[in-house]
Amino acid sequence: MDEKIKEEAAKDNYRQEPKVGVYVCHCGGNISDIIDVKAVAAALAKYPGVTVAREYAFMCSSNGQDLITEDIKNLGINRTVVAACSPSLHELTFRNVLQRAGVNPYLHEHINIREQASWVHKADHDGATAKAIKLAQAGVEKVKRKDPLNAIRVAAEPRVAVIGGGVAGMRAALSAAGKGLEAVIIEKAPRLGGKLLDLGKMYPSGEEGPAIAGKLEALVRAEKKITVHTGADIDFVGGFVGNFRVNFKNADGTSSQVKAGAIIMATGYQHYKPAQGEFGYGEDANVVTLPEFISLMKNSPAGRLEYSGKEIKSLALLHCVGSRQVEGVHKPQADGKINDYCSRVCCSSALYAANQVKDRYPGVRIYDVYRDIRTYGMQHETYYDKASKDGVLFLRHNETDQPVVTSDRTGHTVKVKDVLTWGEELEVKADLIVLVTGMMPADISLIKSQMKMPTGADRFLQEVHLKLRPVELANSGIFIAGTAQYPMDVPEAMAAAGTAAAKACILLAEPDIPLEPFVAVVDEHKCTGCGLCPAECSYDGALMMAVHNGKKVAVVNPALCKGCGACVAVCPVRAIDVAGWTLDQFDAMVEAIAKE
Amino acid sequence: MTSKKILIITTNHSSYPGADAVGQARMGYDANTYIIRVPDPVMFPEDFYLKAFDKGIAGIIIMSSGSDCPYEGAYERLSKRVARVYEQMKVKGIAANRLKLTTICTVCRAAFLKEISEMEKAVSAV
Repeated sequence: MDEKIKEEAAKDNYRQEPKVGVYVCHCGGNISDIIDVKAVAAALAKYPGVTVAREYAFMCSSNGQDLITEDIKNLGINRTVVAACSPSLHELTFRNVLQRAGVNPYLHEHINIREQASWVHKADHDGATAKAIKLAQAGVEKVKRKDPLNAIRVAAEPRVAVIGGGVAGMRAALSAAGKGLEAVIIEKAPRLGGKLLDLGKMYPSGEEGPAIAGKLEALVRAEKKITVHTGADIDFVGGFVGNFRVNFKNADGTSSQVKAGAIIMATGYQHYKPAQGEFGYGEDANVVTLPEFISLMKNSPAGRLEYSGKEIKSLALLHCVGSRQVEGVHKPQADGKINDYCSRVCCSSALYAANQVKDRYPGVRIYDVYRDIRTYGMQHETYYDKASKDGVLFLRHNETDQPVVTSDRTGHTVKVKDVLTWGEELEVKADLIVLVTGMMPADISLIKSQMKMPTGADRFLQEVHLKLRPVELANSGIFIAGTAQYPMDVPEAMAAAGTAAAKACILLAEPDIPLEPFVAVVDEHKCTGCGLCPAECSYDGALMMAVHNGKKVAVVNPALCKGCGACVAVCPVRAIDVAGWTLDQFDAMVEAIAKE
Repeated sequence: MTSKKILIITTNHSSYPGADAVGQARMGYDANTYIIRVPDPVMFPEDFYLKAFDKGIAGIIIMSSGSDCPYEGAYERLSKRVARVYEQMKVKGIAANRLKLTTICTVCRAAFLKEISEMEKAVSAV
């Protein structure tokens, strides 16, 4: 931003007569399908203090933002209310619009009529519209009483803590270090590499998993800006953006702490472990999971696929084991939930493994038993084509008619009600049953609970917004890399890790991070010097009594004040407030909401 | 929709994102609910609640961050203040169940809905 704009933005708007612009967003149809946005804008246009009220398809778009800029320029708008999605997504966007247009950015109020109205009142369009009008009116009352503010800056630790030293963690650390940011990898296993160490040939490159891990580790070890802790058992994660603390026990029993300005969660996944007896798993030695089969293939001699010393002449791959589970059909996990999500990568992995078998052991018969096949990645469909051409026999069942595996002295039989032959009951014999298991989130319950990290219905970490804020957690300063977020393959995990690292680098590019200026402020003219407020403050030195201009008054140290407002409630004359969140504003909001 | 309005006071750090999580999960509740967000409800003096009832608010749910509150000592102070509000409500003849202090975290979707459901029952008698 150039100096001229900065100067304009810093100018004191509060002495001007409030001219409020209200902007109601359709959010495509997310809001306008439920809420009558035209009615909301029309009601607000008549509201006292409002100069203009508009509705638009996407207020966050360039065109939407331009509407506000033009109104500031042409109509002298000096305060804005945007009724749209959650402020966690776009409050900053609109503050920046004001700043660019020369209005103090804190003279903006963001009203949430999506997450807290249209998305939760789908069956009550009139009620949702009435509520949106009231909330917007309350927003107008609040913004009319706002004062211009300036951001506070706090020093940040110039380093990122990367929790997890698998492919995503190593890639994230390398990306961060490549951009000049110090990175610390904290890995619980004795060595770097994660799940990659156990895998065989990886698509699409055909490289062995351990070889890829080895290459990355060599790069990590050679990078001076990266510190590695392996065998580290994390027992505490705390702090806030700019000042996180990660405490862990080392393998030798000593304790360490890493101070970091940002955290990247590269905690990975765990393979779904079939329940005892699920398709015979755990009861029949010849029923294995796909990761177990990949290990088996690594150790099999050329020309003869072996398992427990016996030759495998036929095998059946059973897809979607532990994925896309159906309520009432599948047994819930230990937490009572089923894995109803698609694990995405297993189809390509299974087909890639089948192709390897056909390349190395052309005589082995392969039956691929599936519900749907999802080869979603670049050229992954070629794995399916190759398998078909090489004679892999595909059988398809529906979600309620699961295949049945039985065993006797003659081997294993897989019974499938095959929809490709219009529901015919087919039976195939196989020496080995391979369960194509999916991914589940790794157990990071301690970190999740300590930092209150949000998870989705699938229990993986949940980013704020797929498009607007990818790989960001709602916890400011914490980013996600790789399969901690959802099932993905190595190229995807690497890409996500690069994104997470870039975001951490942007956050920590300056030695200090701008924080919102919401600290206590005292009106010295009103303050009677009664001394009630310092006793309410929990932060030493943040609020004290002092003589100022010959008068005993309460004095706030903004660097120490946390802005909780505990002092506000006890002032008998309302001489103290939290900047940006004053009692007068809330009284006026409640008045507007309560009014019939 | 009932015209009896419920004011829900949420915190920036915890219960406001919790309310967002309810929306993101497309769960539903009644539209007579008005959510305002604050750094911490500890900032409100006793008369803020009483004035809100006077203005016509039927029920108030204070969704604090509880033991997860990032502000030292704030929850304890808030609890004591709310206890004093209850005393003043009793004097004024306002039913105690029209005010509820609870704790809602960023992922407490079911608890969020339960609190609203209980307050809906309480305000139906107002």
